[in-house]
Parts: sequence; C-alpha cells; structure tokens
Amino acid sequence: MASIAFSNVEKYFDDQRVIRDFTLRIGDGEFVVLVGPSGCGKSTLLRMLAGLERITEGEIRIDDTVVNEQTPQERNVAMVFQNYALYPHMTVRQNLAFPLKMRKLDKSEIDRRIQDAADLLGLEPLLDRKPKQLSGGQRQRIAMGRSIVRDPSVFLMDEPLSNLDAKLRVQIRTEIAELQKRMQTTTVYVTHDQVEAMTLGQRVVVLKDGELQQVATPQALYDAPANVFVAGFIGSPAMNIVRSRLEKGEGGTFRVRMGGTSLPVSEERAAVFPGLEQKEGEPVLVGLRPESFFVAEEAASREAQIGVVVDTVEMLGHETIVYGRFAEEGEEEAQTVTARLGPNLRIDLDEEIRLGVDTEKIYLFDAEDETSLMDVQQVAEEIGARERNREETPAGE
Amino acid sequence: MADTEKRTRHNRRVRDDRPVALAMLTPGLVGMIVFIVIPFLTAIFLSFTNRRLGSPLPVEFTGFRQYLLVLTDASFLRAIVNNIIFLLVVVPVQTGLALALALLLNRKLKGMVIFRTLFFMPVVFPMSLIAVIWVLIYAPGQSGMMNSLLEIVTFGYWEPKDFLHNPWLALPAVMLLSVWQGTGFQMIVLLAGLQGIPHTLYEAAALDGAGKWHQFRHVTLPQLRNPLIFVVIVTSILSFRVFDQVRIMTRGGPNDASTTVVFEAIRAGFDRAQVARGAAMTVIFFLIVLTITLIQRHFFRHEE
Amino acid sequence: MQRRRLIGNLLNYLFMTVFALLFISPILFMIVGSFKPDAQVLSDMGTLNAFFPDEVTVQNYRDVFERAPFGRYLFNSAVVNGFIVGLGLLVNSLAGYALARLRWRGRRLVLNFVLAVMVIPFEAIAVPLFYQVTVLGWRNDYWVQIFPFIAYPLSIYLFYSFFLGMPKELEEAARIDGAGPLRTFFVIIVPNAKPAFASVAIVTLLLFWGLYLWPLLVTAGESVRPLPLGIATFYTLPPLQWGDILAFGVMMVAPILIVFLLFQRWFVRGVASTGLKG
Repeated sequence: MASIAFSNVEKYFDDQRVIRDFTLRIGDGEFVVLVGPSGCGKSTLLRMLAGLERITEGEIRIDDTVVNEQTPQERNVAMVFQNYALYPHMTVRQNLAFPLKMRKLDKSEIDRRIQDAADLLGLEPLLDRKPKQLSGGQRQRIAMGRSIVRDPSVFLMDEPLSNLDAKLRVQIRTEIAELQKRMQTTTVYVTHDQVEAMTLGQRVVVLKDGELQQVATPQALYDAPANVFVAGFIGSPAMNIVRSRLEKGEGGTFRVRMGGTSLPVSEERAAVFPGLEQKEGEPVLVGLRPESFFVAEEAASREAQIGVVVDTVEMLGHETIVYGRFAEEGEEEAQTVTARLGPNLRIDLDEEIRLGVDTEKIYLFDAEDETSLMDVQQVAEEIGARERNREETPAGE
Repeated sequence: MADTEKRTRHNRRVRDDRPVALAMLTPGLVGMIVFIVIPFLTAIFLSFTNRRLGSPLPVEFTGFRQYLLVLTDASFLRAIVNNIIFLLVVVPVQTGLALALALLLNRKLKGMVIFRTLFFMPVVFPMSLIAVIWVLIYAPGQSGMMNSLLEIVTFGYWEPKDFLHNPWLALPAVMLLSVWQGTGFQMIVLLAGLQGIPHTLYEAAALDGAGKWHQFRHVTLPQLRNPLIFVVIVTSILSFRVFDQVRIMTRGGPNDASTTVVFEAIRAGFDRAQVARGAAMTVIFFLIVLTITLIQRHFFRHEE
Repeated sequence: MQRRRLIGNLLNYLFMTVFALLFISPILFMIVGSFKPDAQVLSDMGTLNAFFPDEVTVQNYRDVFERAPFGRYLFNSAVVNGFIVGLGLLVNSLAGYALARLRWRGRRLVLNFVLAVMVIPFEAIAVPLFYQVTVLGWRNDYWVQIFPFIAYPLSIYLFYSFFLGMPKELEEAARIDGAGPLRTFFVIIVPNAKPAFASVAIVTLLLFWGLYLWPLLVTAGESVRPLPLGIATFYTLPPLQWGDILAFGVMMVAPILIVFLLFQRWFVRGVASTGLKG
C-alpha cells in the first residue's frame, strides 16, 4: 500500500525533453491510467517510477520517501511488461519464485506465496510448464502472478494487454480490474487505448508530447475535456471541432455558426461556460460529439438542424456512422463532420441529409490556446459528487 | 520504514553500472592490452632500434634505419610483390567461385545441405595439415596427382613438373590450395546473405518483367553488397597474412619465389633473432592491413 | 515446363556432384590413402585408384602411435583449446555484455578500442610478443599458448552484437525483481544466449585448433606442442612414409570434423554472423 507523488518531474534524453514539469499525486490504493498517443511519454513516466530510467529533474516519492536514487527493488514496485518478459528458461514456478529468492525469503514462505498467487489466478496446472508452452493469455496471467507474489507497494503495468487478441483483451481487462479491487494495491497502468483507460482507471491521466493535459475520472474526461486534444482523444469517433464565432442572438441566447447554420447554445448549457459575455464576437472552437447528432425527422425544432452531404457510411449494425461535409459552407472552407446515428438507416452517398443537433451538448474552446471555456474543475467536481451519490445510495439501503 | 530511510541515505544513483561494467570488462581489457596492445607498441618501438636476441651490443635507437634496410631488401620486396599477386589472383577467383557455389546452393532442392557441408569441409582443416597433404598432391614426376590430372585435361601435352621447386609454379601452387581452403568460408557468408534477401523482391522484379539476369543484376547483387564487400576485404587481408602453408611447403623458395611478408618477418624476428628487423616488417605488414581495413570501412560508411 | 524443370534439376545435381567430388578429392585421397600400405599410396596417386582402397590396413595408424607421440599432441591441443575456448567464452561474454547493456560513461570509448584492436592481426604482434615472452623467460608451457588468445576482440564483438539484439525487457524484469547486473547476466542472460555461446565457441575453436605460428615460436619439443606442429614435424621425420602422414592427418582433423558435423548449424550461423555484420 502506498501513495505516489510526482513533483515537477522532467526527463531529458540527451538534449531532448520528453517529460515536462509533470506533477501528480496518486492516492493509496488508487488505480490510475496514463493514456496518450505513442511518444507522449507515458511509458517513460512509468519507467521512471519503476526505477528503470533516471529522473532528470524533480522528485518522485513513494509514501513520502524520495525514491529518485533508489533501485527498483528498494522501491518495492512490481511491473507487468507489454511482452510479459517471462524468463524463457525457467518454469512458471521458477519465474514466480525468482523475485522472492532475490529478497532472500525462505523456502516455505516462497512456496506459500506461489501457492496463494496460483490459487488467486488459477495458475495451478501451469506451474511446471515453461513460458513457451503457454498461450498469450496464460503468459499474461503468469506475469501478473510474478508481480503479485512479491506483495509490492505499487503495481506498474506497461500496455499489458496489447499483445492479446480483442476477445481475450476484454476478458483480462475485467480480471485486472477485479484483482486490483480485491488487492487494493496502488496501480499505475499505461496504455494507448482509450477504452482500456476509461474502463480501468479510477482516474485517467491524459498526456501529449510529454505534457500533462488533464487528470480526471473517466466520466469527467468525457463530459468536461480540458482542451481540444483531450476532447479529440477521448471518445470514438472523435469529437467534431469547427472554427466559428460566438454571437449573441435575439433574446440574449448565444449562438455559434456551424456549417452555415446558426446553432443556439441553450441557457442551461451556457451556464457552464463562465465569462462567455467577454467572448462575444470573438472566434471560438465549437465541439460536437458524433453522438450529439440525430436524424432530423425526430427533431421538434427546425432551429438546430444542419445539412450534411454524405461521403461515407459505415453500417455497424447497432449504429450507423456517417462521414460527410457541411452542405452550406461557413466562413471557413468546407469541413468534414462525423455523426453517430441509430441503426437501420437508408442513406445514399452524396445525398444531403438533415441532422438535428443536441445543443445541450455543445462544447466551446478558446480559439487561441484551445483550452475549454468550461469551468472544467467545477464540472468535474459535480460529476464526481453525482458518481459518489450513485455508489452510496444502493449501499445505504 | 526505518530500513527504507537508511537505504536512501546511500544516495546511490539509480543506474550507474560503472563499477560492475569495469569489473566485467577487466579480464578482457587486461588480456587485450597485455597480449595485443603492448606487443603492438613494442613492435613499433623495436622497429626503431637495432635489437637482436642474444646480441651483446647495447640497444640503440637507429631511427628509420630498419625501415630503410627492409624496404631495400630484395627478399622483402619480393614478398610484398608476391602478396600482391596472391591478392590479385586469389580474391577474384575465390569470390567468383564462392558466389557461383552460393547461388547454386541457394536453390530449394533436396540435398543442398549435403553439398554445402562438403564445400565447407576444407575450412575446418588446419592449414598445416592441408599444406602437408598438398605437398603430396604436388609430388613431382609423372605419378604425382596434380601432374596426372593436368596431363589428362591437356590430353597429354602437360610435362610433369616439380611444382614446389619451380620458381614459376611455387606461388601459384600455394595460391591454389589457399583458394581451395578459403572458398567454403566465403560461400557460407554469401549464402547467408542470399537467404536474407526477401523473396518478394524477386517476385516484384519478375512482375516488372525482369529476367533471370536482370534479377541477378538488380536484386541479388545490390542486396549482397555488404557480404560481398566483407568477403573481399577479409580475403584481401588473409592474402597478406599467408604464412603456415609457405613455411611448411616451400620455406619461401625457390629463391624467394613464394616468400610472403609474414614469412619474412618471422624469418627475421624468429629464425635469425633479428627482432628489430622483424618488428619493422611487422609494422609495415600492419600498415598494409590497416589500409585494406580502412578501405572496407569507407565502403560500409558510403552505403549508410 | 515441368519436364524442363526436372531436367534442369538433374543437370544441377549432376554438376554439383561432379564438382563436389573434385572439390573434396584431397580429403578423400587423405582418408583412403591412410588405409593403404605405404608404397601403394605413391603408386596409386596418379590414377583413380588413389580414391579406392585395394587392401585395407590400419598399419599406418599403428605406425603413427609408434613413431610419434600422437596422444601427447592430441592431449596438448585439447588442453590448450579447451582453455582458450572455455575461458574465452567467460571473459569475452562478460565484456560484450558490459559494452552492450550496461550504462556507464566511457562505454563508447572502450567499444571503439575493441573495434580498433580487432584490426590488428595476430601476425602483426607475433614477433614482439615472442620477444616479450622470451625476455620474461616464459616459454614452452601450456599457459603461454593459452593466455594470448583468451581475450579476443572478435568474440567480444560477436557477443556484443548478440546482446544488443536481445529484448531489454528480460533484464528490466530481473532488475525490478531485485537482481543486480552480475546475477542478471549469469542467471537470466546466459541461459537465454545459448546460440551466441555456441557460435562463438565454435568459431574460436575453428580459429585456434589449427594454430601453427604461435606454438612454433614459443614451444620446443613434443611435451606441450599441439597437433599442427605435430604434423609439420612428423612430415619431416625420416623415413618419409606417406601412409603414416595421411593417417596422422585423419586423426588430427577427426575431432574438429566431428564437432563440425554435430554442430553444423551453429558453425554456419557463427561463421555467417561474422560476415553479415561487417
């Protein structure tokens, strides 16, 4: 059990800065996921925490002890590698015993711990095989086992699912979540896959080019992305972002132009963007998730409708994804738009369709620095409070 | 907890393996320094003196005198010429032969492994043994194996020769067995190179309408560039390192007809105890090898 | 089409067989001749009979043991090569690992040093090294034949490139599990680097089994001399008996030939790897 604190951590490879002023506190027993595109520095952060990379600047603490100068063993961290890194010449049992032998535990204690881990993960029948004789999923489990036997204060996982096929990935993902819940060990998990990040993390850390973009619960990341990058990275297909201008229409409602149409921002929605008044007449970036569109016949108001010329249609069975262009050009050149619609639609290519827009779900970003105009902190806290409520209510019954 | 604090105070860097690295390297480094670097520097030092083993005269610095003597010595000059002839003949013949064999063996046919084994076999033979066997093969007179063979292929026109005592034939005789011994090595390297060429390149070339010759010219040869440079350079260097077979078969004779640079260096430094003279020859020999090596590195760099 | 390919293959086989036989004819001649009475070796030599035994005799082999201390030579070769290969594997793999995988300042420098030393052929140091050991009075024992060849830059380089190509995760896992660099090397790396050890062992054995120049300079008499000097001496021993010499040759090459045939895969891989990396 341990808490972790990164304080102003920087990392240089030669002259190249790969991590920039990174600060993060991770609570005891928390499951935190680092996510970002490849090369964003997430693995480097994990490896610095593990003691596999030196920390150029700043401090990392585990339980209030500065670990910058400690060996991995002294930090008492365990790590699951992407390719599992099982020792090929050792049996599963020997693999599990190795870290324990290194800590000079006695034979009976080693046997006991291996037995416990084997029971927990169902490894018993595999103990005397070699890694080569095991399937990918089994190897993954052994790698987990090798981490568990040590009873580490921190679990580190570096893309542990990326070598598995899609089906197994879902299964083991659930197992990892359950295991962590049961063991209550502080866990830092690195992935490039946003689905893994959203399903596993109690909190998710989004990184880009070595810089922290946002730390929040999965729901808060989705509902209140701190900037255009996070908005585009979380959610699939990615959010539509359109350059526009904030205007004030009749009756004092704010409006933004999108695809030649002027969309109203409802009063309720406008309330989450403090300081909109000052932005009047200024350029802004408007964000709309593909799932905020719907087929227009169902729409009550004709006010929030956009014409889209269809380029590509993906029929996925349970939903239909439409890629197209705005029918009327705005002040910018034609922009593409992605919409996620219901099943069983008949849509022809190059046809113009009318799409309704859920204007309650409009996002607004600063046109200059691309940060959200939302009070992200406030919204995230509200979401957090709502989630806690939901969790507590059934428990209280 | 207290334990952790104590460890932190070590203030050890997370990863500086210097002590371990030096410990792991020490035996190797000491070995190379004592048995390669120091003798090498000694050679340079000795080459500027008049040192002879067993000589009562004090060691004196004589500057470039040894070099002057060596480079005006008829036997040594003949040795350099011989080595150059050796290189100019053996390198192309051996490389061509090895490439042809490698190409033939590269086909996906049954039994190719057996042929590969046979062609490689001479490589594992110690040169001293090969030299002795070939002395017998080169036996003078009508009943000698080489003489008989040449008589058959020339339909009786060949006059039996005493190869190893003939000033025109001694060096070619030594070259022939060197080719025989070295081809297998080159062949294996080139074969490995051939097997590393992606098959799709040939398929792409065939689809582009390239015939067998063009495939060889535009796919095989460029892809084999590195292994080819390597075998050419290694064989060139080996052409200058020739010693064992000359020592055993001809002792450099007749009349220096088959002498080599290393043979001269050993004859001076060891047989005649003229250590300084041998050292000077050694240094010249090294400079030649170094030049060839630098040519190789130049080629490899250009390709990058 | 099928037929043309068949004929092509047949021609290929035919050519290869003829050429291969011609190629290994000196070896066949040696083996066949070693089982012939001495006089017959010479009289058959100019004819195809050279490759066919008439009456098989092992007299030549008996002669070798009678006329020369063959067992002694073989033992000497085995001792010298055993130590060169064994100690060489240890010393050079450690050095190769430190260069490939450990992080320390000066690594590049030492690597360049190894590459530079690799350029120096043994022939370039034979005379001064001979001078050095003579001045020290260190001659005519096993160690003087062994020590100069233990630390071998080519072996270091081969190990270096092999370790460089191994995935790093194993070592990182070992570090996280609490193993230091030395233990990681011996417990994790060595068991997973068998191909490298096999290749280097075989390449060095091939290089040193036939070593002739150095023992020629530093040994005298038969007590510590290895096989290559043995045959050179035996061949000058009167009376000149070619059957005996060929029998000596067969027995001399047999150990390394057996090693070669058994471990051909590693042999080929080792030799090829010296060439492909340049």
